Amino acid sequence: MEVGMLPISASKRGKLLAAGYTTLDAIARASPTHLARDIDVSDSEASEILSLATKASSALERERPNGTHTAVVGGGQTAWDMLNEEKFSSCITTSCVDLDNILGGGIKCKEVTEIGGVPGIGKTQIGIQLAVNVQIPQEYGGLGGKAIYIDTEGSFMVERVLQIAEACIEDMAEYSHQFHKDFQACDVKVHPNNILENIFYFRVCSYTEQIALINYLDKFIMENKDVKIIIVDSVTFHFRQDFDDMALRTRLLSEMALKLMKLAKKFCLAIVMLNQVTTKYVEGSFQLTLALGDSWSHSCTNRIILFWNGNERHAFIDKSPSLKSASAPYSVTTRGIRNSTSSSKRIKMM
Amino acid sequence: MAPLKSLEKEYPLIDSNFQSFCSSHGIFSVEDFLLHDLDALIAFADNHPTSQTLKQGIDQLLSTIDALQPPLLNGLQLLEDAQRNKHVLLTGCERIDALLGGGLREGQLTELVGPSSSGKTQACLLSASTVAKHNSSVIYLDTGNSFSPQRIASFVGQSSGHVFDNQVDHILKKVLDRIICYSVFDVYQMFDVLHQLKSNLRSEIVKSNQHVRLLIVDSISSLITPILGGSGPQGHALMISAGFLLKKLAHENNIAVLVTNHVVGGEDGISKPALGESWKSVPHVRLLFSRDFGSNVCHISVLKHPSMASARAASSTLYL
Repeated sequence: MEVGMLPISASKRGKLLAAGYTTLDAIARASPTHLARDIDVSDSEASEILSLATKASSALERERPNGTHTAVVGGGQTAWDMLNEEKFSSCITTSCVDLDNILGGGIKCKEVTEIGGVPGIGKTQIGIQLAVNVQIPQEYGGLGGKAIYIDTEGSFMVERVLQIAEACIEDMAEYSHQFHKDFQACDVKVHPNNILENIFYFRVCSYTEQIALINYLDKFIMENKDVKIIIVDSVTFHFRQDFDDMALRTRLLSEMALKLMKLAKKFCLAIVMLNQVTTKYVEGSFQLTLALGDSWSHSCTNRIILFWNGNERHAFIDKSPSLKSASAPYSVTTRGIRNSTSSSKRIKMM
Repeated sequence: MAPLKSLEKEYPLIDSNFQSFCSSHGIFSVEDFLLHDLDALIAFADNHPTSQTLKQGIDQLLSTIDALQPPLLNGLQLLEDAQRNKHVLLTGCERIDALLGGGLREGQLTELVGPSSSGKTQACLLSASTVAKHNSSVIYLDTGNSFSPQRIASFVGQSSGHVFDNQVDHILKKVLDRIICYSVFDVYQMFDVLHQLKSNLRSEIVKSNQHVRLLIVDSISSLITPILGGSGPQGHALMISAGFLLKKLAHENNIAVLVTNHVVGGEDGISKPALGESWKSVPHVRLLFSRDFGSNVCHISVLKHPSMASARAASSTLYL
C-alpha cells in the first residue's frame, strides 16, 4: 500500500517520499526517532505517522474470525440485516397525511432529504413542523427525540414555533381522547415549553461558521444522544453570494454533504436540508432547478420539490431510491402544515 | 522501496559493509539501487576486498525484486484466461445487457454516468439483485445512504413470480445475505475497504456460493470531488490510484466493478461527466444515463466500450 493513501498533510507526504519511504512497510519498520531524523519532523509527529501506518497495515493483515458466515470484509452489513432493521425504524410525520403517504410514512431516519422550492412556498414552515413533530412521544406514534435547527437566513420565528407546538399538543390530546376514551389518558403530559426546550437552535452567519458547525455536530450529538433530526435552513444561503472560487465551493459542498451523510448513518437520525431555486438554461429554455449546481444534486438521498399548482401548494418526490415519483398537495395553516383543504372531507386523525 | 538498512533484518547479506559500499556510490534505498548502473557497480565490487559477499548481496537484492513482479503473460494465455474466467454477468435489464454486449464483464470497470435521479442507483440495485440471485456475492459501497434493501427485495420478488408465498421469504433471505453493504464517507475509508478486500480475496479459499463477482461503488464521484483540484495534485493521484486499484481487483479476482459518476456543466451548457479528463480513460465501459423530466423512461447510451461501437442507445422504463 502506498504512502499516498495515508491521511497526512501534503508536506509530510513530500518529506516521506523524498527520504525514500514509499510503502507502508518501509515506514512501519522504522523507529520514531529514525523517522523523525530522516524526514526532519518532531518526534511526536513521527510517532503519529507511524501509528497511522501501523494501523493501516495491521488492518490489512487482520485475521479473519473463525466462522463460515462472516462477511468477506469486516464492517459491512448484509442486505437482509438492513431490511429487518428498516422494518423497525420509524419516520417523522409531516402532519399532512397526503404528504406522509407519498413519503412512505414520513421523513425517514438515516437518510438525507433535500426540500427545495420557490420563496414563500413553505419550506421553513415544514422545517419547523418537523422540529416539533420529532418530539411527539412514542405512545402517540412519534420518535420522542430532540431537534437541531441550523438557521442561516434568520427565518426562524419563535412565536410561530409556539403556535405550531400548541396545535400539535391539541392534536395529540384529541387523538388520545378518540382512542382511549378514559379521562386520565387524556392529559397529554407535554407542555409547549418542553417542546421549545428540545429544539437546539444554531444561527450561522457565514459559510465558515456553517462548515465549522457541521464538524462540531459529531461531538454535540455524542453528548445529546436523543437528537433525531437536523434541519438546515437553508443550506444555500451562504454559498450563493460572493463566492469567487467555484471549484472551492464544489469541494466544500461535497465534503459537507459527506459529513452530513456520515452523521445520519452513524446516529440514525434524519437530516433535512432546505434549498432555494435558480434558473437553468436547458435545451433552449429556462427551467427552475434547485440551487448549488449539478454536483450538489447528488448529495442527498431523497429530494422533494415544492411548487405552486394553481392556488395550491404541491410537493413532488424528485429523487428517491425506494419511493415512487408522486406528488401530493398540502397547505400551510395557523396550526402548521396540514392537508390541503380541498382534499380533506372529514377531520383526519394524526 | 525501503531504505537499504531496513532490509538488514530479513536479508543478512545486506549488512553494514554492503550498505557502506552502496552509500559510497550514492545508493541509500532500493529505488536508488535500481536506478544505478548495475554493471558499473559489479565492476567496482570486483575491485573491493570483500567482493564475494558484495556480489552475493547484489544478487540477493535483484532476486528479491524479481520475486515481487507479477508474471508475464502472452496473448494466448490472456485469451484462455478471458474465456475461462472472465464471464459475463447479467444486469437484469435486457436492454442494458444488449448495450453492454451481454452484460457486465468480469475483469472490467463499468461506469454509469448521469445527472441526478436518472436511474444510476436503480441500475446498480438491479444488477446487485440479479447477480445475488445467481449464487454470487455482491459488495456494495454506498456513499449516499441510498442502498435500499426494500427495493432489492421488490426486484427479487418481481422476477421470482411462480414461487409459493412461504418459500419467498426463504429465497429472499438467501439472496439478501449475499449482498454486503458498506457505508463509506471518505476516500480513505474506501481505500481501507478495498485493500482489506484485496488481501482477503488473495488469501482465502472460498466456497462457490460466496464468490464475490460484483463490486459496486455508488458513487465514486462524491468521494473524489472533495479532494480534486485545490492546491496540489494529491487529489488526482488518489483518483487514479483508486481507478488502478479497482481495475486490479477486477482483473486478478475475476470481479466486475460498477461505479457511478455524476455530470457537471461543460461548454455551451452541455453536460459532461465529472472527474475530468484523466478519469475518462480509467473505466473500460461508460454508459450515459438520462431521464426526461416527469417520466419513468430512462435513456442509456454507450460512451465508451472496448469491443462495441459507441453512441448506440437504448431506452428502458423504471418500474416501481
